[in-house]
Amino acid sequence: MTVIEARHVCKQYRRPRVRATSVKEAVLALLRGRRGYDEFWALNDVTFGVERGEAIGLVGPNGSGKSTMLGVLARVLKATSGTVAVRGRVCPLLELGTGFHPDLSGRENVFLNASLLGLSHRETAARYDSIVDFAEISEFMAAPVKTYSTGMVIRLGFSVAVHMEPDILLIDEVLGVGDEHFRHKSFNRLLQFKAEGKTLFVVSHDLDSVKALCERAIWLDRGRIIKDESAADVIAKYRLAVEAWERSLAEAKARNAPAL
Amino acid sequence: MTEFLEVLRYREVLWNLVRRNLKVRYKNSVLGFAWSLLNPLMQIGVWYFVFKILFQHDEPNFMALLITGFLPWLFFSQTVLDSTGCVTQEMALIKKAYFPRSILPLSAVLSNLIHLVFAFIVVIVLFAIWGVDVNIHFLWIIPATALVAIYAYGLSAMLAAWSAFYADVRFIVGNLMGLWFFLTPVLYPVSLVLNKQIEKPSNWVERVLQDHLPVLKQIFMLDPVTIGVEGYRSALLHGGENFIIVAATPELPAAQAAAVQVALRQEYPLLPYILGAAAVAVATAIIGQIIFRLKADLFAERG
Repeated sequence: MTVIEARHVCKQYRRPRVRATSVKEAVLALLRGRRGYDEFWALNDVTFGVERGEAIGLVGPNGSGKSTMLGVLARVLKATSGTVAVRGRVCPLLELGTGFHPDLSGRENVFLNASLLGLSHRETAARYDSIVDFAEISEFMAAPVKTYSTGMVIRLGFSVAVHMEPDILLIDEVLGVGDEHFRHKSFNRLLQFKAEGKTLFVVSHDLDSVKALCERAIWLDRGRIIKDESAADVIAKYRLAVEAWERSLAEAKARNAPAL
Repeated sequence: MTEFLEVLRYREVLWNLVRRNLKVRYKNSVLGFAWSLLNPLMQIGVWYFVFKILFQHDEPNFMALLITGFLPWLFFSQTVLDSTGCVTQEMALIKKAYFPRSILPLSAVLSNLIHLVFAFIVVIVLFAIWGVDVNIHFLWIIPATALVAIYAYGLSAMLAAWSAFYADVRFIVGNLMGLWFFLTPVLYPVSLVLNKQIEKPSNWVERVLQDHLPVLKQIFMLDPVTIGVEGYRSALLHGGENFIIVAATPELPAAQAAAVQVALRQEYPLLPYILGAAAVAVATAIIGQIIFRLKADLFAERG
């Protein structure tokens, strides 16, 4: 069964030349009779489908549209055109640890965050001990989150997210969170999800992790799909392309450098 | 309509945000929730001092006027001020997960409503101690509060959406609220404005006012906040009776005051104005919601 279906998804952003954050700037820009922005396509005609139980990686250079794609799948962003159909409970692991209120306790934040991700109060209460256990910060749950270290916040955020019992996990650059121990633990948790037949959609620059976790990968560049094949193939080709690009950069630099 | 169902589906998020707002507002303050009541009381104290003691204002029953005026006014102004910044403040949540964005202004309305309830309970206790008759007509504050809340939601949604794109909106709203405060019958009874005549205008502002006085009075009477505030007065002070009341003063003997009151009540029959204000509130809520929905999809891109 296809659980994610993206058809001809386009997302246009306006990149302001000078960002108008006040009425005055907007009026001035209008009076000058120019658009104060450049238009660019963060996603350009992206079409793919994901079957239930598939683990799929999204790779590509910075600014290629990976996070935008995830945002559209999570319904945080709206596609300019094209359609996205997602079947099942989606758990977005975006911006981990954000949305925690610094003045509230860890416990209060767990309930707030879980409700945001779609858990009811009762469901959260049932999972609460397990969430705290997984984050390994049980002795700090009554303290306000502003007293937490960065790692603790991210661990708690990850822990809440993986306790959603989602059908589909959307993961944005969170494979490498926390210390070495927590990294192993979170990676194993994702492997366990996979074993349970959940669908994983992973955005990462950590190509080895993508290869270890996913059997299929999509390579995005400037909003377009370059390749959509097995993870091993895509990653090998992507690495070759990056190497070739770096070589040409170095050559261009050598050519332009003044001969001494 | 679909948005309404979505909000229902995400009501736990709404409830959690309301609880968070309540908890966070008085965090790190020693008196905590007591500020829900102390805030209006202190405002009332300031204005009482200014008018009664500095200016020797002769409005009878001024304290009652202030209490009944400030409860709905502070609810209204605090809600609008809170929610004007809500989209920018909650950007972390907006970028993190999907939820119907209307929850944000809605949570501002609900948390301030809860503050109002707390303040109101204490006012009732004070009334009982002072020997004011606490009666069934007090229930009229429920429709009065609903009227103000619906109106506040509409303005909030509209302003929250705009301020996500233009930071100026917040400063403009902050200052306009100061003006609106004086244009709402908080410090004076509604009859003061309805009875106002300008015979000899001495500057251009007064000339403009004189030219448009009847229309301005109509607008004043159709402002849901005016009707809401006077609804509170009717409920708490006048046993649910008509709130156009002209009190006798040293300059205005009782017989004359009564005659003026009868004339004003004839000129401004309440029912059409109450229905009119309700229509204004509902229309504002609908327009505000439409504007908010049109902008909501772009919020995450503004962070």
